[in-house]
Amino acid sequence: MREITPRSWPAFALIFIVLAYALLLLGFPFVVIIQRAFSEGIAPILETFTDPDLHHALWVTFVFGSIAVSINAVFGLITAWVLVRHRFVGRGFFDALVDIPFVFATPIAGYAVILLFGRNGWFDPPFPIVFAYPAILLVEIFVALPFVTREIQPVLGALNPEYEEAAYTAGASRWMTFRRILLPEIWTALLYGVVLTFARTIGEFGAVSVVSGSMKGYTETSTIFVFRTLNDRNEIAAYSVSVLLCIISVGILLVMNGLKSRFSASSQQPKVA
Amino acid sequence: MSIALNQVNKSYGGQQPVVRDVSLNIESGELFVLLGASGSGKSTLLRLIAGLLIPDSGQILLNGRDVTHLSPQERRTGFVFQNYSLFQHMTVAQNIAFGLEVKRVPKPERARRVQELLELIELPELGGRLPKQLSGGQQQRVALARALAYTPDVLLLDEPFGALDVKIRGQLRQNLREIQQRLGVTTILVTHDQDEAFELADRIGVIDKGELLEVGRADQLYRQPQHRFTATFLGRVNLIQAQRNGTHVHVGENSLPAPANTEALSGQAVELALRPEAVELSRTAEALSGHLLGSAIVESCVFAAPLERVQVRLEADGSTLEALIPPELARQLQLRPGERVFVGAGDFHLLGV
Repeated sequence: MREITPRSWPAFALIFIVLAYALLLLGFPFVVIIQRAFSEGIAPILETFTDPDLHHALWVTFVFGSIAVSINAVFGLITAWVLVRHRFVGRGFFDALVDIPFVFATPIAGYAVILLFGRNGWFDPPFPIVFAYPAILLVEIFVALPFVTREIQPVLGALNPEYEEAAYTAGASRWMTFRRILLPEIWTALLYGVVLTFARTIGEFGAVSVVSGSMKGYTETSTIFVFRTLNDRNEIAAYSVSVLLCIISVGILLVMNGLKSRFSASSQQPKVA
Repeated sequence: MSIALNQVNKSYGGQQPVVRDVSLNIESGELFVLLGASGSGKSTLLRLIAGLLIPDSGQILLNGRDVTHLSPQERRTGFVFQNYSLFQHMTVAQNIAFGLEVKRVPKPERARRVQELLELIELPELGGRLPKQLSGGQQQRVALARALAYTPDVLLLDEPFGALDVKIRGQLRQNLREIQQRLGVTTILVTHDQDEAFELADRIGVIDKGELLEVGRADQLYRQPQHRFTATFLGRVNLIQAQRNGTHVHVGENSLPAPANTEALSGQAVELALRPEAVELSRTAEALSGHLLGSAIVESCVFAAPLERVQVRLEADGSTLEALIPPELARQLQLRPGERVFVGAGDFHLLGV
């Protein structure tokens, strides 16, 4: 890519507009939340972080986020494999379907779960799903479903099947070929997909608020905790937890950028044509 | 380890067959070249032998063992791909050792074998490099070593030198021939390059539109092809309409003695296949040492190192012939476009029409 050093005033103006826009929409919200969180000193923040309800909300967020990530990693990988390596009727439709969670309003996804698994729903299960942990897991899996598939698909598509065939003729089983030959090629993309999935599940609010019942100390997640404490006029608690979630998000962003640079460096290597 | 194919057929998704009724026997230790244009089905045939594809019908035997429905893992073939397909995240040594690792060969034995193969491909110092740090020619040699590491019964090479420049290709051909002879491994090489086929092959199989047209030694296929495709695909050839009657072949008003073993074509319209180097040119009909084909007008004369390529048009039927003559003769005859010459035929062959 050609890079240019700005010399004229329109170039400087353009850079200024972009930076101002980014600062206004991305930087200021972060700064204002930190400022509000610390507005009454450190003591109320420490009090918030000793709240057992918050501990539970964080536990729910991270445990179900991690389970959703693991499930999406496995099924996302299988989906990418099926879409890249197999030709079947309706493949194009199935491929488009993968993106549904991107375009679906998340509360609607939540209502769909209630209609399917709630009382008198299509599947009316013998154990509680809606307003319980399983529903949280279900919607988190749903909202973050496309990330792993969409990250792996292009990398897998760029790998010539001869790569696998070389391993087969050398006597390697399908599993060994996957583990020793394919996985090292796609792992950066897989990890990138996993990180995105995790970030998405941590920040999820709309669908979770519909299906979880938002029960304090039970189905409350960290984003719902922020929402509740704001409603209760406990602003310091809301902002403190927001800062924590922001720090986690920025951490994830840094990990992602690290992976991205690694990813682009490895994709510049000559791949098997 | 012999290879036998019995009436093997393969088509993709119910479309035109890619491999039609191919039967073939390859002897143990032989280097067999499958020669054909791109899309002729030669690579498909190789993949069928390796087990990367399953035939629609027919039988594949490796050393008498029916492997038709065995997986690639069970066939003990070494496969070299045109684009090397080296594992990019592994070093050269790890690539070579991969097949040995799969077969759980103990580590010291593996290391010894890898070093042995690195020396065989003349890259003894490069075991620690990554494939992307090697040239195309070096990568192809590593791909060969990887395929040979687990001492396969059969070595299969799919256009192995296709992605390399001409000079390196020549060197690698020589290396391959030496290695193949030293190890005595039965080998099938697929190529569209006739020079490659001529240089390497014990025998060549010519394949077109999925059909194995004929099999033979290079000189045999060049001099006495049984199919028009073989005659035109292997080098350049002049095809002249003729009639074979009795003991002679008639071309216009001239007649030439028919070659041996063409009695089956007696009484039929035939094509006389005459290689450019067997076309004789002279200023007078009497000076020809071969058989007279007729008079012709020179159309062009260009230097095609190391010989002179002359194009002439026969006056009798207006057909164009190509001749390859030594430059000294061209100078002596003072050939210029528009001038008349007499054309004679040296060795020729007949093809049924």
